[in-house]
Formats: sequence, C-alpha cells, structure tokens
Amino acid sequence: MLWNRRETPGALVGRPEGRVDESNWSDFAGYLTTAIADATGRQLIIDLGGVDYMSSRGLRALSTALALAKQAGVGMALAAPGPAMREILAISRYDKLFVVHASVEAALG
Amino acid sequence: MRVRFWGTRGSLPVAMRAETVRDKLVSGVLAASGRHFADRAAAAAFVDDELDFAVRGSFGGASSCVEIEAGDGNFIICDLGSGLREFGLDAMRRAAGGHPRRYHVFLSHLHWDHIMGFPFFVPAFDPEATIIIHSGHADAETALRRQQEEISFPVAFDWLRARIEFVTLATDVPHRIGGVDVTLMEQYHSHKSYGYRFDSGGKSVIYSTDSEHRSDQMDTEERFEAFFARADLVVCDTMYSLGDTVSLKQDWGHSSSLVAIDLCRMARAGTLALFHHEPTYSDAQLQTIHAEAISYEALTRGDAAQVAVICAYDGLEVDV
Repeated sequence: MLWNRRETPGALVGRPEGRVDESNWSDFAGYLTTAIADATGRQLIIDLGGVDYMSSRGLRALSTALALAKQAGVGMALAAPGPAMREILAISRYDKLFVVHASVEAALG
Repeated sequence: MRVRFWGTRGSLPVAMRAETVRDKLVSGVLAASGRHFADRAAAAAFVDDELDFAVRGSFGGASSCVEIEAGDGNFIICDLGSGLREFGLDAMRRAAGGHPRRYHVFLSHLHWDHIMGFPFFVPAFDPEATIIIHSGHADAETALRRQQEEISFPVAFDWLRARIEFVTLATDVPHRIGGVDVTLMEQYHSHKSYGYRFDSGGKSVIYSTDSEHRSDQMDTEERFEAFFARADLVVCDTMYSLGDTVSLKQDWGHSSSLVAIDLCRMARAGTLALFHHEPTYSDAQLQTIHAEAISYEALTRGDAAQVAVICAYDGLEVDV
C-alpha cells in the first residue's frame, strides 16, 4: 500500500493505493492518525480511488480514525470509491457510518 | 467428522409467524405460475431446484446447539441452547438403537441462550445416561443449577436422573476427550467465552461463537488465526454487520462475517459457517447477508485460497 497526501486550504486529502489488508492495516492506521493531527480545523478526505480492496482490519482502522477525528473536531469523509470499494462499504454497512462522496472534488465542495 | 446444526440463532429463540409462512407460500405460488407438476415428486423437485432457500425453507429459530460426530462414537455437543431439545429427542431415538448414552458437552459460555435448552434435555432424565459438561468456566455448574431453581423452573436440577459431571478445562492445551483432541481458547465476551478446536482423524472443526474482535485489539488476532489454522470447518459468530460492531453494538460481544472471513483466510481454513444469527433477521435478510459474505470473500481474496462460505441453519449437516 502506498500513502500520498495533499493539502488544500480547507482540507487534507489522504490517498491510500493498492490493497489495505492484514499485512499493512497498522501502517494505514498510523497514516490516518497523523493525518487527523495535521488536519486540525480542516476536513480530512480519504480518497479511495486507488484502493483495490480493503479488508476488515483496514475498515476498522478507518472507523477508529473516524472516532479520533470527531474528538479532534476534524470532519472526516470518504471519496471516490471504485466499484469494489463501493461494494465493500455497502456490505460492511460502512456507508452508513461515513459520508461517502462520489469524487474528491465533490468532497471538497 | 460430521457437524449437525440443531440451533443457529443468537440471543433469543424465534418462531415463524403465520404471515411469514403465508409470504413464503405466495412467493412459491407466483414462481410456479403457469407450471404443471405431474406428481408430488415433480413439485418437490421444483421447490428444491428453483426456489430460493429463504422461500422454500428457513434458517430456523433455535438458539445455539451444534453436534459433532467424531472420535469414539460418544455424543459431542457444543452449547445447550434451545436447539438442544430437538437434539435430545433425536439422541434418545439413536440411543434406543444402540448409540452409547455418553454425552460430552462443550460450553462456549454460560449466557442464557447457550444453556436454556438443558432443562428440556430428555437424556438428562435417562438414568443410563452420562453427561459430562466441559467448560472453560469454573462456574458452569452454578449457572445450570441456578436456571432450574424453583423461581425459574419447576424441575430441580437434583431431580435429573442422568449422571452429570462438570469438568473445567484449561485453555491452550489439547485435551483428549471422547477420542477427539479438544483445545479451547479464551475469547472477548461478557463473563468471557471460549472457542473450541476439535481435531480427529486428520480433520479439524472450530466452534467460535460469542466472540468480539475489537478494533483496539486487532494486533491480537493472530492468536485466532493460529487457533483456526487449516481448519476444515470454522463455525463463527457473525451476528452483526462490521459497521454495527464498531458503532451501536460495540462491546456487545459479537462479530461480523467480514472479520470471520479474514481470520479464516489468514488461517487457510477451508469453509466458514456463518452462525449465531441475529434473531430479528428474516430468512430473506439472512440469505442476503450470506450472498454479501460470499461477495466480500471474492472481492478481498487477492492471491489467497478461496474460503467457502456457508450459512448455518437449523437442520444443516456438513460432512468434514
């Protein structure tokens, strides 16, 4: 999994790429924690456009990050899931926990 | 080994209501529109081959009870939920045909839905029967006696005629019981629960119910992967969606099909049986959840071997 990030005046956009699974969920969780700290006062958008799939530990890293973001006053949303990730978000019911935007542009408003 | 599911619901037994039967009949009649069946066998073939399981059948409503046929031929039963009543009747029939009247029970934990069948267990009234109740909990006897106190039930525990023994098992070491190697591990649940691994004749079955896999303990899940390692069948608590287990139902002590699939994949297990179904779910909802679990397994398989995903129902038999 690769992790890239870019910043706009109102948001920090994190972009994982590849698989997020049992081999790298801990790295993913670390990137999310750092991003939340760095996004204080702004939105944190997770761009899922480059994610092949995410297994349950990656998903739970996301929901743990959501709780952290709420405590830190950071609005967190997901964006641009491809077909596989859309289906995984629906099966896991994570589409009920997160705001999911069709694109990063839509998330940035 | 053969695994026979006598009760697959979690928390509370449920019974089908009249309108549910009617809905199933309406769906079946609609599916048969314009068809002609020469005889009952032809109609049965249509039902079996062309109707969804949620229409032609039911996942059932009895609470946890799973029988494992293995080892030296004595009965092996996981949990004493309401499904035990039906098992007890069938066991009496088999005992009348010569089956040994020795019962090895393995308790995941002592919550009501996992012990409520025992007061209705006919073999407990059989003076020729021996019932050995194995548990990781030292207070299993207290739990079973307490539910038969007069305030809760008219038949006292001491009136039972079978010879009943309680054995507390240590975790993480194999025990040779009934010709089967049995190992148990502690799981996260209120008052703890225990998962069991049964090894016999080169085959392995896991019974892991009422086990929450918490988000803040993911680094300990390798323990489960090792426990499930290369099992032929893993029976797993998959009561809620993953989303529910990390939000509204966090700390309720249960898990999801997604976590179960990932653990089985990492363990290189062969088949996962979805188990401990949420009592409010209809047959149609459970069928959908099963289909979604199969999709998730395929979406996240990567380079790993396939984990077959089945959905346990009352009456299902699986040969391992």
